[in-house]
Amino acid sequence: MKYAFFPGCTLEGAAAENLLAIKKVTEILGIELEEIPGWSCCGATHLQDTNELLGITINARNISLAEKIGLPILTVCNTCTLMLKTAKQRLDNDDQLKTTVNKALSEANLEYHGTSGITHLLWVLLKDYGLANLKEKIVRPLKNLKTACYYGCHIIRPPETLGFEDPHNPRSLELIVEALGAKVVDYPARLDCCGFHALFPAEKAVLKMSGTHCLVAKNTGADCLVTPCPLCQMQLDMYQPDREKYLCTETKIPVLHLPQLVGLALGASPKELGLNHHIVDTKALLNKIS
Amino acid sequence: MLTYDVVIVGGGGAGMRAALEAARDKSLQVAVFSKTYPTRSHTGAAQGGINGAFAFKDPTDSIEKHFKDTVKGSDFLGDQNAIDFFVNECPECILELERMGVPFSRDEFGRIAQRPFGGASSPRTCYSADKTGHVILHTLYEQCLKHGVKFYNEWFLLELVVDKGRFQGLIVQNMHDGCIHPVNTKSVVIATGGFGRIYWNRTTNALNMTGDGTAACFNAGIPLKDPEFVQFHPTGLAGTGILMSEASRGEGGYLINKNGERFMSRYAPEKMELGPRDLVSRAIETEIREGRGVGGNGNFYVLLDLRHLGKKKILERLPQIRELAIDFENLDPIEHPIPIRPSCHYMMGGIHVSDHTTCSTPVPGIHAAGECACVSIHGANRLGGNSLADVIVFGKAAGKGACLSAKELSSGAEPILLKRTAYWEEKFRTMREKGHGLKVAEVRDRLAATMWNNVGIFRTEKEMEKALSEVEELLQEYNSCYIGDSSTKYNSAFIQYVETGNLLNLAKAVALAAIARKESRGCHARDDYPTRDDANFLKHSTVTKIGDEYKLSYIPVTITKYQPEERRY
Amino acid sequence: MAMEIVYRVKRFDGEKSYYQEYSIPYEKDRTILWGLIKIRDEIDPTLSFRSACRSAICGSCAIRVNSNALLACKTSLDKQLALYQTNILTLEPLANFPVIRDLVVDWENKFKHMTEVKPWLIGEKDCPGGTGYYRQSPDEFLEISNPTDCILCGCCVSECTQHTNLRDEFYEPFIFTKSWRFTADSRDNSPKAHLLPVLNEGGLWKCVRCQQCITKCPKGVRPADHISRLRCSSMNYGFTDNLGTRHAQAFAEYIQKTGRLNEVTLPLKTEGIFRTLKRIPFALRLLRKGKLRPLYFPSPIQGIEGIRKIYNRLRKEEKK
Ligand SMILES: Cc1cc2nc3c(=O)[nH]c(=O)nc-3n(C[C@H](O)[C@H](O)[C@H](O)COP(=O)(O)OP(=O)(O)OC[C@H]3O[C@@H](n4cnc5c(N)ncnc54)[C@H](O)[C@@H]3O)c2cc1C
Ligand code: FES
Repeated sequence: MKYAFFPGCTLEGAAAENLLAIKKVTEILGIELEEIPGWSCCGATHLQDTNELLGITINARNISLAEKIGLPILTVCNTCTLMLKTAKQRLDNDDQLKTTVNKALSEANLEYHGTSGITHLLWVLLKDYGLANLKEKIVRPLKNLKTACYYGCHIIRPPETLGFEDPHNPRSLELIVEALGAKVVDYPARLDCCGFHALFPAEKAVLKMSGTHCLVAKNTGADCLVTPCPLCQMQLDMYQPDREKYLCTETKIPVLHLPQLVGLALGASPKELGLNHHIVDTKALLNKIS
Repeated sequence: MLTYDVVIVGGGGAGMRAALEAARDKSLQVAVFSKTYPTRSHTGAAQGGINGAFAFKDPTDSIEKHFKDTVKGSDFLGDQNAIDFFVNECPECILELERMGVPFSRDEFGRIAQRPFGGASSPRTCYSADKTGHVILHTLYEQCLKHGVKFYNEWFLLELVVDKGRFQGLIVQNMHDGCIHPVNTKSVVIATGGFGRIYWNRTTNALNMTGDGTAACFNAGIPLKDPEFVQFHPTGLAGTGILMSEASRGEGGYLINKNGERFMSRYAPEKMELGPRDLVSRAIETEIREGRGVGGNGNFYVLLDLRHLGKKKILERLPQIRELAIDFENLDPIEHPIPIRPSCHYMMGGIHVSDHTTCSTPVPGIHAAGECACVSIHGANRLGGNSLADVIVFGKAAGKGACLSAKELSSGAEPILLKRTAYWEEKFRTMREKGHGLKVAEVRDRLAATMWNNVGIFRTEKEMEKALSEVEELLQEYNSCYIGDSSTKYNSAFIQYVETGNLLNLAKAVALAAIARKESRGCHARDDYPTRDDANFLKHSTVTKIGDEYKLSYIPVTITKYQPEERRY
Repeated sequence: MAMEIVYRVKRFDGEKSYYQEYSIPYEKDRTILWGLIKIRDEIDPTLSFRSACRSAICGSCAIRVNSNALLACKTSLDKQLALYQTNILTLEPLANFPVIRDLVVDWENKFKHMTEVKPWLIGEKDCPGGTGYYRQSPDEFLEISNPTDCILCGCCVSECTQHTNLRDEFYEPFIFTKSWRFTADSRDNSPKAHLLPVLNEGGLWKCVRCQQCITKCPKGVRPADHISRLRCSSMNYGFTDNLGTRHAQAFAEYIQKTGRLNEVTLPLKTEGIFRTLKRIPFALRLLRKGKLRPLYFPSPIQGIEGIRKIYNRLRKEEKK
C-alpha cells in the first residue's frame, strides 16, 4: 500500500503536529508514503478566485507530478482534496480544457494524463486499509472517550466531485472512531462549516460560528472533537480565547486531528502525535484514556 | 377599496406579458393578481420551444408556411384572420423577448437557434435547451421587477363581477390571511391558464391548473368557446402524467406494446412514432383497449423505449427526460423502457375572445389571453410551440387592449362589489365552520375518473352522456362538501374547494359541447362519428351559462385563404 | 410489506409551532410530496404546503427533510428512508424564511433583495422598439446557461452557512447567481451595475465556501462557483481594496514566489500592519505552543521556475 503524499501547506506550519501524527500512524499501519517532489499549494479556493484556469493548472501540475511517480495521491486536508479533485474532474470531462492546461503545463515540461486517483486518509483507512485490519492493530482501545465527529465541508460537499458518500448522512468518520473503541456522541453540528475560508472578511461571524460548534460539542458531553481536516482543526482550536470574547462563555474542548486519535488507539505516545501543540489543553483527555 | 385602471389576473407568460404592455402607459394604475408567485406558473414547464418563422435554420421557411401549418394543424377550425395576425406578430414578439434578455440557444451565427417540431413543415421552433418556458417566464418576471409592476402574489380570483352586462371589478382572496377584497378596476385581463386538472392525475398540467379565470368568466356570462377540444399528449409518464417531451420521439425513441412490437407500424407506417400528437395518442389507447397494453389492475400503459439510442445520445440530447424518468418512475431509460400513457395536455377551448387584436370578450373591459382564452388560433388541435407564441403575442395584445378599455370605461360600482365581497366572506365563514360532509378530494377524483373514462381520447355518445349525468350529480353533491379547515391563514382547503367547483362547471361544458359535436375533428375523436363533417360542424361551439342553465350555440369560423381539405401527414 | 411511515411535521398556525406525527402506509416508488398530498387528502386537510408542477420546475415545494432542504416533488421517499435508515422523517419549512403557515414560507423579501442586483439586461436602449436583436455565440450562451437554470426554490437559502449567520449582510445564494447571470451576459452593457450590489451589500467576500448551495440545489445550479467568478470579475474591474482580494492575491503571489503559503506573513498581506498588530496575542499563543515558526521563510519548491512560466503564460493569455 503506497501513495504519493500531498501534505498541504498547513502541515509545514501551524498544523505541524498533524504531520507527526500521520507519519506515525502510517508507519505503524505499514502504509507507505512518498511525498510528491515539488508539490505546490493547492490554492485553497483563493488562487481559484483570482483565475480559475490558473487554479486548475496548478493542481494539474500537482497531479501530474504524482503521475510521474506512478502513484495515487493521498491527501490529509479537506480543502486540498477538493481543489485537487475539482481540477481532476474538470480535466477528465473536458478534452478542450485538458488541451489548454497541458499546453500551459508544457512550460514546466509536464503533462496531465489522468492516471493518478486522489484519495483522503479518512477514505484510505476505511476502504483501502479496511476497518477489520485497523481493528487488529489497536492496542489501546479508546474505551471511555466520548467523541464528537466533525467532518468539515470539503470532504463531503459537493458530492459529485468528492463522491465518497452521501453528504447528508455520511458515516465514514463515525465508523473509524467506533472502530478505535471510542464512543460517538450524537453531534448536531457534525456536518457544519467551520468558516476557515472567510476568517479575514467575516471574522466575527466565523468565530461565533466555530465557537458555537465547540459549545454544542461540549453540551453533548463529548471529551473531544475529531476532524479529518487540519483547517477545521485550526479554526476550532486556535481561536478559542478570541471567540470566547464574542460568545461570552467558555468554549474549551480539545480538537484532535483524525490521525492523532487513530495514533492514540494504535499505542503511540501523545508526544509522538504532537498532542502538546494544541491551544486547548489535551491533558484531561489523555488522562481519560490512559 | 383597492382601485386600479387595469388589473391582470394570472402571473404566467400571458399575464406578465400583458402587464408589461399595460405598464408602459404611465398614466394608468396597473396590478397583477396571481394565486401563485409568478415564477411558479405553469408556463415554466414548457420545454420544447416557441414558434416564429425567422427562416434562420431553414431559409425556405416563411410566415406563410407558419400560417398554413397552423391552419392545417387546427383541422381548419382556427380563425384564419386571427392566425394571420398571430403568425405575423410571432417573430417580432420573440425578438422582444430576446432583447429583454431571454437566454435563447444560438446557432453558429449567433442567431436564435431553431428546431423541428411536430406538424411544422420547417424547423421554426426557437428554444433555450429544454427549458424554454422556464427562461421566458423568469425573464418576464425580471422585466416586471424592472418596471415596478405591482404584484399581489398568492391572491386568488374568486369572482368577476358583471352587472347588467357591465364589468364592475373582481373579488379576490389574500391567501396569506384569508381576507376577501373587492378590486375596483376599469378593465381586466384574465390570463389564468388551462384546466387540464378536470382529468386530475391524467394530465401533464400542474396541480393548480383548474381554470379559475375561465370559470369566473363563464359564471359572469361570457361564453366558453370550443371546450370539447382537449389535446392529449402521447407520452405522459404512466404513474404521474408528467410530460416526456416530444423530443424523446424526435430523437428516435420507439413505442412498444406488451408483445414487444413497434405498433405504430399499424397506424402510421411511414412516420411511425413521429406522427402528430392526436394520431399517436389514439394509437396508444387503441393498443391498450385491444389488450396489448403492459401492466394490469386497471393500470395499463405502453413503453417508450430509448435504449437503442445508446447511453451517449441519451445523455447528450435527452438529459431532462432521463432525469424525470429517474426521479418520477425510478428507472433509468438507458437501461429500461419507460411506461407511458397519453395525458391531457392542453385546452384549445376557453374564454370566448371576440376581437383578436385586443383580446376582448363580449363584456367590455374583460380581456383574456393565454391558454385560458380561445381566440381561436388552435382550432381543433394546437401545434407544439404555438402556445408559448400565443401567450406572448396575445398577452401583449390583451395588455394593449385593456389599456384602451380603461381609457374608455369608468370604474365599477362599489355597492355591488361590496355586496359580492360580503357573499364570499359569508361563504368562507360557513365553509370554515362546517364540520362534516363529503370530502372535496373525493368529488375531484370521481370527476377525473368519469372524464378520463368517458370523455377521453375516444368518445361515444353513450359514454359522454354517462359522464354528463355523473358530472351533474357531482355538481349536486359538491354542495354537501366540507373543507375541514377552520383557519383563515393560508387555508388551502378552501382554495381547493373553490377550484374543484370550477373544474365541475368547466367539465360539464366540455361534455356538453363534445356530445353535440357529432363528427371527428382534430383532438375530438368520436367512435360513432369517425369522420370530419364540414357541412355541419365547420363552426365554433359556444356554451353560455345563464344561472344554472348551460346553453349551447355555434358561431362561424373565419376562413380567408385556405379552404378545408383532408388533413394528411 | 405492511410498513407504516411517519411524517413528523413542524406545524405553525400563525402563533404557536409544534410537531405533529402522521402515519401513512408505505408504498414503493413514491415521492415526499406524494405523502404530503396523501395526508392532506385523507387525514388532515389543514396541513398546509405548496406544490404546483410536481415535476421539479416551478420551485414551489421546497421544504426541509431531516434538516436538509429539498424539492418534495422530486425526492424519492425510498431513498430518504434508506439514507437515514428510518421510517420516521421530520419535515419542516425552509430555514431563513418567515413562515406563514406550516410548511409555507414568505418570499416577498427575497424578491426585494433580488431586485438590488438589477436582474435585467441593461442594454443599449430600454427594450428597443425597432427590429433587430442581440447576437450571442453558442459559447456566450453556455456562460449564462447554468445560472438560468435557477427555479427560485429557496433550497440554497435554507442551508447557506453565511446567510444563516449574517442575514441581511450576506445575500441569499441564488441572488449571487442572478447577479452573475447578468454580469456574464454578453448582451449586457453595464455588468458593473449587477456586480457592485453583491460586492457592497451582498457580502461577496464573506462566503465561507461550504458548498451547501451547490449540494442542495435540485437543478444543478452552482451559486458558489458563481460567487467565485463574481470575485474574479470584481478584481478585474479593479475593486481590489478589500480584505478578500488581498487575501486571494496573497495566495497567488506565494505560489508564484515559492510555491507554498507563508502563514506568518499572510495576515500582514491581507490586513495590513494595523490590523495585524491586533493579532499579536494570537501569534504569541501559537508561538508558545510551537505552532508558529516566525523565522521560517520557506525556500522555493523544486520546479518553481515551471510554476512561474505557467503563471506568465496564463496571465498573458488572460490579458488577450
Ligand atoms: C408540460 C407542458 C409542456 C409544454 N410545452 C410547451 C412547449 O414546448 N411549447 C409551447 O408552445 N407550449 C407548451 N406548453 C403549453 C404552454 O406552456 C401553456 O399553454 C402556456 O404556458 C400557458 O400560459 P398562460 O400564461 O396562459 O398560463 P400559466 O402559465 O398557466 O399561468 C396561469 C397564471 O394564472 C394564475 N391563476 C390561475 N388561477 C388563478 C386565480 N384563481 N386567481 C389568481 N391567479 C390565478 C396562476 O397562478 C398563474 O400565474 C406546455 C404545457 C405543459 C403542461
Ligand atoms: S411542485 Fe414544482 S418544483 Fe416541486
